[in-house]
Amino acid sequence: MSASDADPLIQMQNVDKFFGDFQALKNINLEVHRGERIVVCGPSGSGKSTMIRCINRLEEHSAGRIIIDGNELTDKVKDIDAVRREVGMVFQSFNLFPHMTIAKNLMIAQQLVRKTPKGQAREIAMHYLERVKIPEQADKYPIQLSGGQQQRVAIARALCMQPEIMLFDEPTSALDPEMISEVLDVMIDLANDGMTMIVVTHEMGFARSVADRVIFMDAGEIVEEAKPEEFFDNPVHERTKLFLSQILAH
Amino acid sequence: MEALTGWWDDYAWGSLVVAKVFLTSIGLMVLFGLIGAGAKLSNIRIAQKLAGAYTVIFRGTPEILVILLLYFGSAIALTSITQMFDPEVKFVDVPPFWAGTFAIAIIVGSYATETFRGAFLGVSPGSIEAARALGMSPLQTFIYIRIPEMWRIALPPFGNHMLSLIKDTALISIIGLNETLFVAKQAIATTNKPFTMYIFVGLIYLAFSSAITLSVMGLEKFGKRTTEGAR
Amino acid sequence: MSFDLYLIVESVPLMLSGIGITLKLLVISAFLGLLLAILLLLMRISGKWYLDWPAQVYIYVFRGTPILVQIFIVYYGFPQFEFIRDSIFWPILREPAGCAIVALSLNTGAYVSEILRGGVLGVGKGLLEAGSALGMSARQKFIYITTPIAVRLALPAYSNDVISLLKSTALASTITIADMTGIARTIVAETYAPYEIFISMAIIYMAFTWVLQKSFGLIEGYLGRYAKREA
Repeated sequence: MSASDADPLIQMQNVDKFFGDFQALKNINLEVHRGERIVVCGPSGSGKSTMIRCINRLEEHSAGRIIIDGNELTDKVKDIDAVRREVGMVFQSFNLFPHMTIAKNLMIAQQLVRKTPKGQAREIAMHYLERVKIPEQADKYPIQLSGGQQQRVAIARALCMQPEIMLFDEPTSALDPEMISEVLDVMIDLANDGMTMIVVTHEMGFARSVADRVIFMDAGEIVEEAKPEEFFDNPVHERTKLFLSQILAH
Repeated sequence: MEALTGWWDDYAWGSLVVAKVFLTSIGLMVLFGLIGAGAKLSNIRIAQKLAGAYTVIFRGTPEILVILLLYFGSAIALTSITQMFDPEVKFVDVPPFWAGTFAIAIIVGSYATETFRGAFLGVSPGSIEAARALGMSPLQTFIYIRIPEMWRIALPPFGNHMLSLIKDTALISIIGLNETLFVAKQAIATTNKPFTMYIFVGLIYLAFSSAITLSVMGLEKFGKRTTEGAR
Repeated sequence: MSFDLYLIVESVPLMLSGIGITLKLLVISAFLGLLLAILLLLMRISGKWYLDWPAQVYIYVFRGTPILVQIFIVYYGFPQFEFIRDSIFWPILREPAGCAIVALSLNTGAYVSEILRGGVLGVGKGLLEAGSALGMSARQKFIYITTPIAVRLALPAYSNDVISLLKSTALASTITIADMTGIARTIVAETYAPYEIFISMAIIYMAFTWVLQKSFGLIEGYLGRYAKREA
């Protein structure tokens, strides 16, 4: 039951999330349309990661509604599987399967989840490895690659599932400075192709040049939401100003 | 359970023997372990080799063989030594308590060698450097930094070594030490209730190992509190 | 006190004739123990208290009591009950070797399940999240991510446990089984030459341990090939 193109691809309505007594998300309302690029920033512990992890249900929200492409996230397993097929995710720590070669990392979920035959899965894997510009590493193991290369593999792995939406959870935070740009380049390339993306990052240059909207979170709330030029040049809230002054100071 | 009537005293004495073997062997085990670790960490080639042989030998040999060898072997050795002074002597008996206690302490000491060595090497060089940079003397560094950190690293495996010791005391019944398993054997001869008697021995050992586990857990908690308090 | 070389030359082949029984005890117990360990592991990680608790109690009891007591309970204790003598297990429990295998399997299963659990817990949470994010089911994640990584993580500890099991098979000699140690004890009882016999016996066990270690080393090397930076 795919919704029409005019409807938002992601809808979060009054979403709360508790870890025990601690409220990690407070009344989150967010709509993301097809092809939109959203950057989420904010101090650590502000709930950015928790929010995007709720979108593919790595965390279960405590209250409110989350609807992805017409599928509401409830306890029903079928819905979650349907959503996870639509949503790709890239982690801060890459999370490549260490015991599988690069090609196998890209093929395994295709074979198991999409039931793609092996040969075709390999073709798709090679296609996306070309796209992230490391096809020659296909038969190595993750540990033999640099951090930047590993993160590009992780992006390719998510793309192999042909998702509608890509979530990035601080994809460059674990990387040495000289490797950040090779990952950002791949992400910019993806954005130019029209992929719907939600990116949690502190890379303000990326936010300014790629994002359609920037969301600033603090203490579990969405404090400010604006187009990048407004966000960076005329932030409204004090908390946003303080954050920007800290992060742009260096 | 009524089969146990009349045997309580014997089991109590047997348990006391277990406790005595255990406590004596801990001391010896720590001693052997420290000597082994010291030798492995030393710069003396021959000492390293000997300590290496020590760990390989006792990790690869069944406990029962070590106990039997020490018991019968030392009896023979003592006998022939005594015969040099007094040819009339036919045989010198070695007390199973000492032969057994030494045997299990040597065996578990070979494992403790690795534990102590690992704990010594596991102390982060960073905190040693930091202590030296703060002007602490080598002795102060050793007492306030190295020992507490080693203690924290070594405690969990050390708890396992103590459990090995307590369980290995059962093997000493084979050479006739009158501990609980030996008592059970006598009790079975008159009551003909082997299951009851051996299960009871099992319960006694379970009580011993529970006491050890709980003490180690308490110590670990204490250790954690002090290291976290020091932060 | 002299060292009788001729006796060694004569006895070693005799003792080696028991290697078949030692091997049989080791291989069958290791296999059955592994099956039991996997069952206990699944109970432990099932997330259901009525499966988890019994497994925990089992592990606690079998790790908290001496293996020798467990062997005696099975061999001497079980026949106390008529229903066991009438059961279908009697053909196994009537034989000393059957009893040794039962006791050794029950014992090693408890230890190995904890080793496996350590491996499972060592699998990074992030990898499982990545699996979820790719849409893999709980079962697929367990088979393709958790199991292969956990096996590699658990293997070094598992190989130590197999070596412990080898050493424990020597205890079969206490219930009349003529394994290598049983034969050695018989020879010592006849010749009264504990040094010659027990030391050569120990060397044979060490060689056996060495072979086990080397074999596991090869398997570890193969399974760990992805953990090395150089291809």
